[in-house]
Amino acid sequence: MSAVSEAATSSAMRTREATVRRFAFTDMVFRAATRASAILVLVLLGGVAISLIAGSWEALSKFGISFLSTESWNPVTENFGALAPIYGTIVTSAIAIIIAVPIGIGIAVFLTELCPRPLRRPIGIAVELLAGIPSIIYGIWGLFVFAPFLQTTIQPFIIWLFKGIPGLNSLFAGPPYGIGLLTSSLILAIMVLPFITSITKDVFDTVPAVLKESAYGIGCTTWEVTRRVTIPYTRVGIMGGVMLGLGRALGETMAVTFVIGNAHRISASLFAPGTTISATIANEFTEADGAIYTSSLVALGLILFIITFIILALARYMLLRIDSRTGA
Amino acid sequence: MKPMLSTDLNVSDTTVEKAKIEVKNLNFYYGQSKALKDINLSLPERSVTAFIGPSGCGKSTLLRVLNRIYELYPKQSAEGQVLLDGKNILDRSQDLNLLRTKIGMVFQKPTPFPMSIYENIAFGVRLYEKISKAEMDSRVESALKRAALWNEVKDKLNASGQSLSGGQQQRLCIARTVAVKPEVILLDEPASALDPLSTAKIEELIDELQADYTIVIVTHNMQQAARVSRQTAFMYLGELVEFDRTEKIFTSPREKRTQDYITGRFG
Repeated sequence: MSAVSEAATSSAMRTREATVRRFAFTDMVFRAATRASAILVLVLLGGVAISLIAGSWEALSKFGISFLSTESWNPVTENFGALAPIYGTIVTSAIAIIIAVPIGIGIAVFLTELCPRPLRRPIGIAVELLAGIPSIIYGIWGLFVFAPFLQTTIQPFIIWLFKGIPGLNSLFAGPPYGIGLLTSSLILAIMVLPFITSITKDVFDTVPAVLKESAYGIGCTTWEVTRRVTIPYTRVGIMGGVMLGLGRALGETMAVTFVIGNAHRISASLFAPGTTISATIANEFTEADGAIYTSSLVALGLILFIITFIILALARYMLLRIDSRTGA
Repeated sequence: MKPMLSTDLNVSDTTVEKAKIEVKNLNFYYGQSKALKDINLSLPERSVTAFIGPSGCGKSTLLRVLNRIYELYPKQSAEGQVLLDGKNILDRSQDLNLLRTKIGMVFQKPTPFPMSIYENIAFGVRLYEKISKAEMDSRVESALKRAALWNEVKDKLNASGQSLSGGQQQRLCIARTVAVKPEVILLDEPASALDPLSTAKIEELIDELQADYTIVIVTHNMQQAARVSRQTAFMYLGELVEFDRTEKIFTSPREKRTQDYITGRFG
């Protein structure tokens, strides 16, 4: 090797080292920035939790654990209990999920397996547009269109249908108000549907084509491939979509406030008006005079926070158990 | 260049053998582009036939026509005839699920279903047969023994199929295919993702299975074709160039293109 090219090589090495040093610096900055962002999330979460606890302290120390088990909510006597809103929140969200999950999975199966190609995009986009409709629109639609429709047609029919059947007759007891728990559940189901559908559709698309071909290759029908291969293969993703939907349903405020009826009581009938945690807070914050009233509303917020947290933790735990059982 | 009159050849070479599958004037299209051009060949029963040729020559496509798995995708279409025991399977009246229980398929990459080892095999059986737990146990065991996997998995039948090694997964897929008692087994480069030891096991397995099944294997590996098959079809650019007994293809091919390919001059 000649002297000239050696010199050239060593100078090239020097510039390379300088570049590496510069990279090391930017890399350090980058690492610090990403770490800070991650920590910020924890700080925010902690901050929210602490301020909720601090704000609700007065109510919680006055009512104690009976805050959770008391149905009455009386601003006049300043006696507050969270049972009715907790019940309403859980029941409406649960019914919404029960309705939306099969429909959402059905839409996803149709879009990924069965839909003729030209229709696939329009239907997919239409479903996702549902997610873009502001919840206030669902609220006014629910109140002015959907609830009267239920009141005049569906609800009288269901009441008549289940009249003689024990259990069901109290679950679907009249009078048909239109608004109430079931109406809220239906609206919530429509609102969470796009989340469940689009996530399910995305995870269905990740199933390797050759895996489905193998299943078809031993003579499976589309139903069997979906039931035994596609859904088990993607169950973690589907659960994720369901949990996201559930989170949305639990916290949804505006649409529910419009159609739930805002009654602080627990009725056996799903047609009866009720309330949810978020609807109560939204309705009453402006008129909450007195520290104990405000503090009770914040306590409701804290409860919602905890419910959401527990549900997410349960979901994680369930997924872990499923995974360790099948070793997937 | 006209395609070989393979059926004639076949008759002279394997006069006593019954044709399990006969392909007649088969054309295949991906949308507008023609992927298979006027294919004629006849696959004798209970023997191994290899399809070789460079990438994109249509050998996998031909395989995928034989169980009509291509129909999962729109815009793919076949014309001509594929006779299974004299009955045209390309006919519209052919029930696809039934066809696929008769013609099993194993893919390039192992595709265990997301369930336990036991269920991977029982699943396919259960689709078409109602049998007792005891019968199912023995069915699973015999399929796993058939695929030379039993000794490795008998203590962990409830473990996930996906927890096995690649070679084991592929043998699980073969066991799964065998368990539904097909008549024909299609193998699409079954060993190309496997290490040499697993490949040897799969080849041994193919050799044993031909006593009971008609086997068609697509392979890029010419030594493999030479080792496992009785007949070999050489395909090039969507045409069937030559179809003959394997030793003839590899020692004295009639076509220059075949010779060029097997000696490594192109492809």
